[in-house]
Amino acid sequence: MRTLSKKKRKKSLLLRGARPKRALATEGTQEWTRGGVITLFFLLFSLLAAKAQTSSHMIGVGPSKVLDTYLTPEKYSGTGFTYLYIKDNAHTDTLRRWTTTIEHELDFSKTRHRNSSASDLEGTYNLYLARYYNLRPANNLRLQVGATANACIGGIYNLTSSNNPGQARAAINIMPSATAAYHFSIRQQHFTAHYELNLPLVGVMFSPNFGQSYYEIFNLGNYDHNIVPTTFISAPTFRQIAAIDWHYSKRWALRLAYLGNYQQSQVNNLKQHVYTHRFLIGLTRSL
Amino acid sequence: MLATLATSCVDEEERPNTPEGNFEALWHIIDEHYCFFDYKDIDWNEIYKIYKVRAKGDLNSEQLFEVLTDMLSNLRDGHVNLYTSFDNGRYWRWYEDYPANFSDTLQRRYLGTDYRIAGGLRYKILDDNVGYVYCGSFSTSVGESNLDEVIEHMMLCQGMILDIRNNGGGNLTYAEKLAARFCNEKTLVGYMQHKTGKGHNDFSSEEPQYLEPSSNMRWHKPVVLLTNRGVFSAANEFTKYMKCLPQVTTVGDQTGGGSGMPFTATLPNGWTVRFSACPSYDRNHNQTEFGIVPDYQVTLTATDFLRGRDTIIEFARDFLR
Repeated sequence: MRTLSKKKRKKSLLLRGARPKRALATEGTQEWTRGGVITLFFLLFSLLAAKAQTSSHMIGVGPSKVLDTYLTPEKYSGTGFTYLYIKDNAHTDTLRRWTTTIEHELDFSKTRHRNSSASDLEGTYNLYLARYYNLRPANNLRLQVGATANACIGGIYNLTSSNNPGQARAAINIMPSATAAYHFSIRQQHFTAHYELNLPLVGVMFSPNFGQSYYEIFNLGNYDHNIVPTTFISAPTFRQIAAIDWHYSKRWALRLAYLGNYQQSQVNNLKQHVYTHRFLIGLTRSL
Repeated sequence: MLATLATSCVDEEERPNTPEGNFEALWHIIDEHYCFFDYKDIDWNEIYKIYKVRAKGDLNSEQLFEVLTDMLSNLRDGHVNLYTSFDNGRYWRWYEDYPANFSDTLQRRYLGTDYRIAGGLRYKILDDNVGYVYCGSFSTSVGESNLDEVIEHMMLCQGMILDIRNNGGGNLTYAEKLAARFCNEKTLVGYMQHKTGKGHNDFSSEEPQYLEPSSNMRWHKPVVLLTNRGVFSAANEFTKYMKCLPQVTTVGDQTGGGSGMPFTATLPNGWTVRFSACPSYDRNHNQTEFGIVPDYQVTLTATDFLRGRDTIIEFARDFLR
């Protein structure tokens, strides 16, 4: 499979390389750029997939709720979209004791005030790097317990405010985590049910002080408790994923999932929550 | 931990979208965030008692707007506004109660039609070899190359009149960028602080504000800065910076003030309120919320107006000659 895909890639590159000789120079440049981006993405995916035992790509949609009292005491709600990539370096039937899982989660939401055209844009990237100890209480059941390091970066932007319209979000968290995977069959079709839970413990986050402007932080460089240590009491962020895989071939599975990410904090007399509920669909590939 | 999680949702009380709910929301936003209660000697709890009675019952939007803007007018603050789709609540007495001391009709006689424009600046060399630069707003960006061109064009002038009359403010970084062209060494220009909690006196320590000299072309000759009551917010800060520079003289009327950096918030009905949140001070720790007095108080006279002369510009020209 890998050899074939490499040949295809070479053929694809050759075809793209031939075109600028026939086309106008500008078109050729654009084509090269597009081709380069596609090739880069393909190589990146191949690299990620090559090291992974199981990798999943999912996209999803669902409701979002945003509160940030630095911007306003009002809550905003709307619809958001998520891309989620999960790379597990072991199969669910692995015999290895320790395994690693990496997740990249990209969220984007547009939310509205309950009674007006005022709206917020919210975007966040979350990286989850988990190290799990594997337990196998039954042949078709895998349990994992461990810890996840989470790095979060993003922001909220109010489209109607001219002053203090934005809020930056950045945090690092250590989250006790657990997963369960259960294999079962229905009429000779194979399925796997997954569940993952990440709970808050400790972390550190960025926050302006109660009434501190970004001008003061970034233009004047005035620091005032802007890097705040957090615990599961001041930042009770948690996250869960419930998914079911339908293994329609030996290597590929169709995945349907629910992702609930409940990010919360209460520091510097400011309250913030970003609740996202997503219904995801994607493909899982096992090597 | 699970038990803690189950009971630890970070949430905020959502007030109902009724006249009472909107009144309560607005009163609390100002109560917790406004920064000049003590300086202006405002008893906000007393204000609550007066206006709560008026915000009851079946008020329509315009009646509620009137009650809420009346309440906000007690803050006597040009940075306090209530924005709705049908009107903007405002307090503009900081310039409406005073002579304008600026006439664009007169300014046209000085600028003519052959003036230059660089970014948000209009400039011309007057016939007595004095450079005249008008900066009407800090909302428009002025690029470094624009400033280089203006200074280079006026290189042989004996002095510069920098007119910021009626400049209602804008972006503070643009004001800093312009002031840096007149600064030759790192200069303490004032202090700034912010609220650290909901109490009326929960403030951080006063942190110094420094003006750094521009690394591009700078103006070393005398400058006369023209101000009037229409100079507000970022332009008021600009005046504060310029008053700290040795070659700068301020002429005209007192500025309008507006030294609190504004924040905004929304009410249950979707209206937006703007308010002063972070106070700043001059280098002697004095408030500039109600304006900055010029070095030379000069008023535009009716006689000069009829003769087509701007008294304030003429004073500046005499000063620089």
